[in-house]
Amino acid sequence: MDFLSNNIYYIGAFGLIFIGLFIILVKHNLIKVIIGISILETGVNLFLIAVGYISKGTAPIFSRPGLNAKNMVDPVPQALVLTAIVIGVAVLALALSLAIRLYKHYGTLDLRKIKEQRW
Amino acid sequence: MNELGLLSNGVNPVLLIVVPLALAFAVPLIGFISKKIIKYIPVLAFLFNLIIAILLIPKVLHQPIIVKIGGFQPPFGINLYVGTVGILFSTLIALAGFLVSIYALNYIKEGPKEKYHILYLLLLTGATGVVLTGDIFNLFVFFEILCISSYALVAYFGNRAGIESSIKYLIQGSVGSSLLLIGIGLLYGQFGTLNMADIANQIQSASSPSIFVPMVLMITGLGVEAAIFPLNAWLPDAHSSAPSSISAILSGIAIEVGLYAVIRVLFTIFGASNFLMFFVFLGVLTLLIGEMSAFSQKNIKRMLAYSSIGQIGLIVFAVSLNTQYGVSAGLFQMISHTLGKGLLFLAAGYMIYRTASMDISSFEGIGKKMPYTSLAFTIGTFSLIGLPPFIGFPSKFMIIKAALAKEGILFTVLVGLVLLGTVIEGAYFFRVVQVIYFKKGNGNQERKEAPITGLIPMFIFALLIIFIGIYPNFIIKILNSAASELLNKIDYIRSVLG
Repeated sequence: MDFLSNNIYYIGAFGLIFIGLFIILVKHNLIKVIIGISILETGVNLFLIAVGYISKGTAPIFSRPGLNAKNMVDPVPQALVLTAIVIGVAVLALALSLAIRLYKHYGTLDLRKIKEQRW
Repeated sequence: MNELGLLSNGVNPVLLIVVPLALAFAVPLIGFISKKIIKYIPVLAFLFNLIIAILLIPKVLHQPIIVKIGGFQPPFGINLYVGTVGILFSTLIALAGFLVSIYALNYIKEGPKEKYHILYLLLLTGATGVVLTGDIFNLFVFFEILCISSYALVAYFGNRAGIESSIKYLIQGSVGSSLLLIGIGLLYGQFGTLNMADIANQIQSASSPSIFVPMVLMITGLGVEAAIFPLNAWLPDAHSSAPSSISAILSGIAIEVGLYAVIRVLFTIFGASNFLMFFVFLGVLTLLIGEMSAFSQKNIKRMLAYSSIGQIGLIVFAVSLNTQYGVSAGLFQMISHTLGKGLLFLAAGYMIYRTASMDISSFEGIGKKMPYTSLAFTIGTFSLIGLPPFIGFPSKFMIIKAALAKEGILFTVLVGLVLLGTVIEGAYFFRVVQVIYFKKGNGNQERKEAPITGLIPMFIFALLIIFIGIYPNFIIKILNSAASELLNKIDYIRSVLG
């Protein structure tokens, strides 16, 4: 039980990552695959935040004197996640707009039926 | 030489990234003034980059330049590491970018032209950033800029094939990027730093299982873009459906930059000399699979795309020999591939444009009607096969020599397999050349020669291929210095951290 409570964020993060990978690998609907990519990215972001998190930590801002730096969370992973979220939004927007164009061409989003490009 | 030195003293390598990035976002604004001048912006941007990069070469050969962004001392803040490898690649990127943007002046006639030029500038900005950065998360960001703009450019024409390949590329690429980010997170969690030199310094004392997982994740993530064998399913689709100018950049620059990132992570950050045997086998496997798939293609662009996979395999093989000579041979092969494949895609672009078909058999008799384009195509194929006096000959020769310098029957067998790959490559390229020159075309269809903006870049590519092929010593010194930068991680760490 101790293990579970100490590592709950990591377990949650990798849970999301594996759910995302599973959806990408198994689902045939393009929209679902894009949702899978989004879940995967959320998991990665959660993992990055968990790396720098201290339980009951505060934001790393020296707003008033006497604050102890020991209880502050690491700000670097938060900056990384901010960047990663922006990148994720760009990928998501591009993927969805491609999905719209794909539907116009093929009339379906089923990836099993969209395979004109094959070797 | 003195004047060059004076000129390069005031030049900051940051300009290599900043100028194309700023111009990319200035394109819509300039579009308000005049729509006609937009297409000249990439030409100017990469001409500028090319001049800056060439000016920096003598200085960098003397000593790597460390740019501290914001004035933070490494390991804090983000720094650029402009070593020989970085400057070699950024020169190559600027050169290819410049020539291909001249080609695109007339080639890109339809579709949202403004967006093409924005994305083109961003793609090459990302590539330059990846090769120059010294920060592992910054590498990820530039890598994403490169990837996202190439997803969009593959779908530029908006036709069925383009959209389908683009979405495939996007799915695989974003899974790869996520894996890369997990790897970066694991490294940050262990070492508390994102600076490549600092990680490389601390990793020497870390236990091996805890660095093995991030290494595998990062190599897999970057390997998607580098198209190493099990991760290359997107490549033939994406390279064949993109506009030809973009295929030249994707094949000549994007996968090479991915490969650079793999090599940098393997050699500098992890210093993983005991895994390299695995990459030797992976390289030979990639080479054989790429060449054999290319052999059975009827579509010219798919054939060139599969041939790129084969060339990537050859480069992986050469670099993972882990000797000074082998790594320089691998880098030489990268230059040779960029020039050769760039030329081939550009020439094939107008051949496809004039015949309106990607089928190799439709090129019958085109050698008489488009003599210059066909000649350029032939030079490209001969160079990739490795015939003298073209650049492919010294680079392949160096690879074989480096592999034979390794003792043991195993390497002799592997060299045999590599040569087999070259023979297959020769077979399918000669078949195309035969169709172009020696088959009678049906009827007297009008096939105009490519316009002058198409011929100039092809001519310059061909000239460079022949020039470096005859005088390989021209760049051997740079290659040797680059190889020792990759192999000697102590110097890398010391020059950044002081």
